[in-house]
Amino acid sequence: MSSSQFRLSASRVALLYVLIFSAGISSVLVAVYFLTARVLDREVDVIIQAEVTGLVEDYRRGGLLQLIDTLNRRADSWGRTGAVYLLADSSGNRIGGNIARWPNEFASSEGHEWVEFEIDASEHGGIVTHPVRAHLFRLPDGVRLLVGTDILERTRLASRLRNAMLWGTGLCVTLAALVSMGYSRGVRRRVSSIAATCENIMRGDLTQRLKIEGERDEFDELSSTVNHMLDRLQQQTEVLRTTFDSAAHDLRAPLYRARVRIEEALQHADMATSARATMEATLSELDRVQRTMGTLLQIAQAEGHGNELEMELVDLTALGRELTDLYQPEASERNLTLSFSGTDAVKLRGNQQLLAQALVNLLENALKYVPAGGHIDVAVSQTEGNAVLEVADNGPGIPEADRQRVLQPFMRLERDRQQAGSGLGLSLIAAVMRLHRATIELLDNQPGLKVRWVFGRDSVIRDS
Amino acid sequence: MQPALSKTSPVRSGEASTKLTPSSRVSEAMRLLLIEDDLQAAEYLIKSLREHDYEVVHSPDGRDGLAKATSERFDVIVADRQLPHLDGLAIIAKLREKQDRTPVLILSALGTVDDRVHGLKVGGDDYLTKPFAFAELLARIEALSRRAAPAAQEVTRLKFGDLELDLLARRVMRDGKQIDLTAKEFQLLEYFMRRPNQIITRTMLLEGVWNLHFDPQTNIIDVHMSRLRNSVDKGFSKPLIHTVRGTGYVLKDEQ
Repeated sequence: MSSSQFRLSASRVALLYVLIFSAGISSVLVAVYFLTARVLDREVDVIIQAEVTGLVEDYRRGGLLQLIDTLNRRADSWGRTGAVYLLADSSGNRIGGNIARWPNEFASSEGHEWVEFEIDASEHGGIVTHPVRAHLFRLPDGVRLLVGTDILERTRLASRLRNAMLWGTGLCVTLAALVSMGYSRGVRRRVSSIAATCENIMRGDLTQRLKIEGERDEFDELSSTVNHMLDRLQQQTEVLRTTFDSAAHDLRAPLYRARVRIEEALQHADMATSARATMEATLSELDRVQRTMGTLLQIAQAEGHGNELEMELVDLTALGRELTDLYQPEASERNLTLSFSGTDAVKLRGNQQLLAQALVNLLENALKYVPAGGHIDVAVSQTEGNAVLEVADNGPGIPEADRQRVLQPFMRLERDRQQAGSGLGLSLIAAVMRLHRATIELLDNQPGLKVRWVFGRDSVIRDS
Repeated sequence: MQPALSKTSPVRSGEASTKLTPSSRVSEAMRLLLIEDDLQAAEYLIKSLREHDYEVVHSPDGRDGLAKATSERFDVIVADRQLPHLDGLAIIAKLREKQDRTPVLILSALGTVDDRVHGLKVGGDDYLTKPFAFAELLARIEALSRRAAPAAQEVTRLKFGDLELDLLARRVMRDGKQIDLTAKEFQLLEYFMRRPNQIITRTMLLEGVWNLHFDPQTNIIDVHMSRLRNSVDKGFSKPLIHTVRGTGYVLKDEQ
């Protein structure tokens, strides 16, 4: 199993983290900006409103002249408080105040209105443009009044605030992105290292352990737990293996001696025919026990000691053709058609004897179950870089529900109970396939069984 | 693919046509060293081998076995794979180190896929998995002891009685008539022609001709043999290929 299909997860989490973090930070800063701007705006408006109230009071008390007088007294207010005033007649001509003329853009303005415009003022020998916020309104006798204030400082503050907000957000996002990138890379590295070790362990090397990096983090905790589990597993496997090995060894010796003794007895001719027949039958039973045990040991070896097996260059096409030829006469004796298709050499790294044994098992199964008149087709091909071997027949097949089950040791279909056989054939094939990191599929040949082996591109050897 | 075949040459071809069955050997007895720690089994093997005119020396452990193997001359050594003190493979390695080419047959435990490969790698000559039929062991010992005879130069033609094999033209003639064989049948017949008067077991054929080092459940060899015999013996005055009951086949020119 490759880890590439899982690679996204850590970076996806990191990306999500960056997005949420950025959204949070920027919404806080945007809120601060808008709140501050509003407070500043309100402050300006309150000041202007207070001035307007004062001037309207003057007007009501002393009429236009009083108002003009007040405005003239405040003529120098621009330099001090930044306040602007303008009193103009209905056609926009200045009557009083400290700006030259009614702003063009508001010439047609009627009644009350809040406006913003710009004023050029000469300061320190240069012209500086000041933004101004003002309240326009019309007095009862058609005279218009503009009361405003310089908002340059406020605008500057707002823009500084805006910049600070943008920079702050940008910096936070960058930092978050860097941190989470580092985090996701770290996670990916540790996960890959764990996955690589696990792959080795799955291939049968139970002595490997996950690396503890000494960072006392969750990964170390996980690794240490997994390592404890592996210790336990190795211990159990070891017990199981020694038990199995010594059982096999302890069975081997008496089996060997029993065979030797029966053979010895059979050599002496002075024996009743019935006794001889019984002993010969016993001998063949012993051989059956031996075969079953041999197959079990082979399965155990393929499963457990896979790394120690010799791998060589195997031409699957040649192997398929050779074994099909070997079983050809047997097939025609049983009135079955046995064919082989496959032309180009399909080379892979494998154990020749185990692969041959697996294919022999498949062929013998087919010969056993396909009724006379049927056909068995063996095919070897190379598709999309994979090596594929198929054995298809038109026999009784295997019900879909049982297809996984029959790959396990000693599992046999109910209908085959009467047939001779150990029930180990398919499980040896499955073990050999696992050893070669190949897959085995039992398919419906409609009718019949199609067994397909697929060897991944890692095991296939391409001609250079 | 078949080291056994390329190393072997026809030691005795059929022209002598003397009767040569394992038990009727006239020359001095073959000397055999059996290194086996299972005493009960060894006892039976020794007895049976002696009945077949072998002079057997037994050693129950590896170190003693190696000492015997180097101090005396034997025609064949049969050594168990697992032995006390020094295992079978180490014995072979030590012997080969000393340029001792005595053929060695390794007896190995069941279910060890690569033992054969390792055994042949260190210089073993044949390999047999326990438990085995005595006849199988005997046939293999016979084959090994003959192989030890000085090799003749590579031949292109094999002859046995009126049967003749042209290895270059891949042609078979018997009594002047051409016999058509498939490539595999030719290979099978060649295996027999190179080992005339020798009992060949089915397992030996599976190994030597098909390179299969395990026993299939079905007896596929007999069908192949019956086809070969149909081609080679049918319609001729006397059969050359004979069945040896319970063991295998032999190419023999019987009166």
